Amino acid sequence: MILIAFVLVSVVSLFIIAAARNHRQMNTVCVAQALIFAILAAWIALFEQVPVVSFLVGSQYFFIDHLGLFEVLIATVIFACAAVYARGYVEGLLESGELEKGSLRLFYAAWALLLLVIVLAFFSDNLALFWIFAELTTIISAMLIAILAARENIDAAIKYIFIASISMLFAFVGFIFLFEVSRVHLGTGTLNWTVLMQHAAAFSPGMVIASFVLVFVGFAAKSGIFPFHTWLPEAHAKAPSAVSAILSGVLLNLGIYGIIRMYAIVHQTTAIATIAPMLTVFGILTIGIAALSMLPQKNLKKLVAFSSVENMGIMLVGLAISTPVALFWVLFHIMAHAFTKASLFFSSGILHRQYRSRFSSDAADEIKDVFRLQPLAAWGIILGGLAIIGMPPFPLFFSEFFIMLQLGAVSLWVLAVMLVLLFIAAVALGYFVLTTFTQVSAPDTPSDIEPYRTPASMKAPIIFLLVVLLVVGLVLPAWGMAFLNQIVTELKF
Amino acid sequence: MIDTAIVVGIVRILFVCIIITAAYIISTRNLLSVVSVYALQSLTLVCIALALWSLEGSIVLLEIAVVTFISKVLIIPYFIATIQEKIRIKRDIEFHYLNPTTSLLISMALMLLIYMALARIMEGTPARESLFFFGAVLGISLMLMGMMVTFSRKRAITKVLGFLSMENGVLLFGMFVTELPFIIEFLIIIDLIILVILTAILSVGIDSTLEDYHKRLHRFHLLEESEEVP
Repeated sequence: MILIAFVLVSVVSLFIIAAARNHRQMNTVCVAQALIFAILAAWIALFEQVPVVSFLVGSQYFFIDHLGLFEVLIATVIFACAAVYARGYVEGLLESGELEKGSLRLFYAAWALLLLVIVLAFFSDNLALFWIFAELTTIISAMLIAILAARENIDAAIKYIFIASISMLFAFVGFIFLFEVSRVHLGTGTLNWTVLMQHAAAFSPGMVIASFVLVFVGFAAKSGIFPFHTWLPEAHAKAPSAVSAILSGVLLNLGIYGIIRMYAIVHQTTAIATIAPMLTVFGILTIGIAALSMLPQKNLKKLVAFSSVENMGIMLVGLAISTPVALFWVLFHIMAHAFTKASLFFSSGILHRQYRSRFSSDAADEIKDVFRLQPLAAWGIILGGLAIIGMPPFPLFFSEFFIMLQLGAVSLWVLAVMLVLLFIAAVALGYFVLTTFTQVSAPDTPSDIEPYRTPASMKAPIIFLLVVLLVVGLVLPAWGMAFLNQIVTELKF
Repeated sequence: MIDTAIVVGIVRILFVCIIITAAYIISTRNLLSVVSVYALQSLTLVCIALALWSLEGSIVLLEIAVVTFISKVLIIPYFIATIQEKIRIKRDIEFHYLNPTTSLLISMALMLLIYMALARIMEGTPARESLFFFGAVLGISLMLMGMMVTFSRKRAITKVLGFLSMENGVLLFGMFVTELPFIIEFLIIIDLIILVILTAILSVGIDSTLEDYHKRLHRFHLLEESEEVP
C-alpha cells in the first residue's frame, strides 16, 4: 500500500510542476516531494514490520527490506537537500543564461520523476524490474546533465548513456543466466531476489559465476568502477552542481546496491572463491586509477568526481572481504560517502558560480581570495575534504579504518597498496586546497572579481550535511548500528 | 501444425539472415540503409519468434512477436528515419579505431570464441539441443557486433542503431535460452523507446551544425516535454 503513496505523491507533484508558473513554485514542489518521501520512508522504518509484506508490496514484484529502506532514506535526504540547494543555484543559472527558461519545467519534471524511479528501483524485489528502473535512472539523469544545452554537456550525457546502457545490457544477459539457473533448480524460473536467496546455496557455481560477471559489468558501469568509469568525471563535472550531488550521492549507490544484492546470492555458493578476488582486483584498480587521476587535477568538480570513483573502489574492496563486519562498514561507508560527497558538490557549486570560467568547464579553476569572497564554501570544501579522506571524527574515518582492519586479516599486501593509494588521493585533495585557496590578491590593489551573493538556500544544505556528519561521527547512534546489523543478517552474511 | 523439421530448417535460414544483417550494419556507410536493415533484422526476429511459437506453442513468444513488430519494425525505424531527414546526414564515413573490414574479421573471431565459451558454461544445463544452443551463440554474437558498431562509429545516430542491434541480440538470446515473463520484455521495449527518443534528440544537437543547433534543440524541447510530462 505504501508504494502507492509514493507513486501518488509523485504524480501529484508532476501535475503541479506542469501547472506551475514560476521557478519558485516548481522548486517548492520538489522540496515537498522529497520531504514527504523522507517522512514516508522514516515512517516505514519506525512503525512498520520490515521487511514489509502487505498487499502489492509483498507481491512478487516489490518488497521493502532494510537494505532498500536504508538506501531510500539516504536518497530522500540527499534529494531534499539538493532541491533546497537548487532553489538558489538554478536561479543563478537562469540569470546567467546557462539554463533557458523553457527548459525549467522539463528540469523539475525529470527531477521529480528521477526520485520516484530511484525509490521504486530500491524497492524492487524482481531483479529484472530493478534492472529496468536502473536503466530509467540513467536516461532521466542524462537528461538532467544535458539540460544546460551546452555542447560539452550533451557530449557528456551521450557518453554516459551509451557506456551505462551498453553495460546494462550485459547485466541483463547476466540476469537471463540467473533465470535459467533458477529454472534448472526450481522448475519454474524466477528473478525474485527473496526466492533466489532462499535457494541460492544449491545453484551450480559455473553458471552463477558467468551470471555475476555479466551483472557486475552492468552495475560497475553504473557505479563508476574501473574500467567503466570513463563517463563519470565528465558527467559529474559538467552537470549542474545540484544534479552532481544526486549523481554522486544517490545514483552511484544504485550501482553498488545492485552489486551487493547479486553478491549476497553468490556469497552462498562456492563461486565466492572466484568472485571475491576478482572484486578485490577491480576495487584496487579503481582506487588506483582514481587516486592517480586526482593528482594532476586542476578542476575542483572533476577532482571531487574522481574522489567518488575512489570511494566506490573502497566499497568494492570492503565487499570482497565478505565478512559480516566488513559488510557492515561498507554499508556505513555508503551512507557517509553519500552525505559527504553531496556537501562537497554543494560547496564546489558555490565556487563554480563565483569563479566560473566562461569558455569551458574543463579549464582550471581560477580561484582567488576565496576566504574573503566565499568563506562558507571554502570551509565547506576544507571540512568536506577532511571528511572524505577519512579524518576523525568524521564517519568515513570509522568505515575506512574498520574495512582496512578487516582487509589486513586477509592480506597485508593488498592493505599496504590500498593505504598508499588512499594517501595519494588525500595528498591530491590537500595539494589542490593548499595551492588554490592560498592565492590572495595584494592587499592594496582592488580586486576585480565581483562577489557572488550566495543565497541562504545554497548555504543551508552544506551546513546541515556537515552537522549531520559530525553528529553521526561523534555519537554513532545505537539504533543506527542495530539497523545496519539487521541488513547484514538479511543478506545472510 | 507444420512439420518440426521444416520449422527448424526455416529457423536456420533466419539465423543466416541475422548474420547477414549484422554484417551489413557493421560495414555499410550509407545511413539510410542502416535503418532499413535494422528494421529487416527486427522482422527476422519476429519470424524466429513465430517459428518458435509454432514449435513450442507458448503464448509469450506470440506476444513478443507482436510487440517487437510494432515497436522495432514500425515505430523506432520510422522515428529514426525522420530524425535523419531533419539532420540531413546521408552517409557516415567516419570510424573510430576500427574500419569495417577489421570489424568483420573481429566479429567472426568473436563468434568462434563465444561458441566455445558458451559450450563450456552450458555444459551442465539439460536439453540444450543444437538449435537452441546456436540461437544463444548468435544472440551474444549479435550483441557484441552491435557493441562494435557503437564503439567504432562517430555519429550518435549510428551509435543508437548499434545499441538497438545489441538489444536485438539480447532478445534473441533470451528467446532461445529461457522464457522470460512477458511483462519484462514489454517494459524493456518501453525503456528502449524512451532511450531512442532521448538520444535522437541529443544527437540532433550534436550532429547538426553549431549555428542552428540552439534553434533546433529548442524546437525539440517542446517535443521532449510532451513525452515526459503526463
